Amino acid sequence: MRKRILPIVLTVFLAGMFTLPTARAQQPPPPQPAIAHTSLKVGDMAPDFTLRSDQNATVKLSDYRGKKDVILAFYVLAFTGG
Amino acid sequence: MKDTEVLGISIDAPPSNQAFAEKIGVKFPLLSDMTRQVSKEYGILNDQFQFANRTTFVVDKQGKIQHIQEGNGAIDPTDAIDICTTVHRKESGGAQ
Repeated sequence: MRKRILPIVLTVFLAGMFTLPTARAQQPPPPQPAIAHTSLKVGDMAPDFTLRSDQNATVKLSDYRGKKDVILAFYVLAFTGG
Repeated sequence: MKDTEVLGISIDAPPSNQAFAEKIGVKFPLLSDMTRQVSKEYGILNDQFQFANRTTFVVDKQGKIQHIQEGNGAIDPTDAIDICTTVHRKESGGAQ
């Protein structure tokens, strides 16, 4: 009887050794902080705004209409990598 | 490019942006979106940290968006400059 049980126990043990790490590897990665992506698309009108500049001037996006193209470069924070 | 204006935008206050501009030597305006309203309207406000994600928009003379660059790619202005060159050609009626 003992001789019959031992192979079964060994088989279950070995099967567990190989399947457990695989099951762990298949777990979904932990959730990452949500990164906002713009819903604006090429061809949309850029929302107008009026903001104060570093030189204390008032800058309005629509003031450039018909005069200049504008590159709007949103950066994370001053004194960081941008 | 004389037909193009670059505007930097962050949630920093004007004095912070002024000090930052002096430190890195930028010649274009850095704008303060302290209320986060503009970042929200452009859909790039990071709700968790309350700052705008790094994004570049190219807006043509009609006020239409011609190019959007998000994430780390937005650090390199090459694409935005190339798009502006193409937009200028289109506006002047030249070939692409």
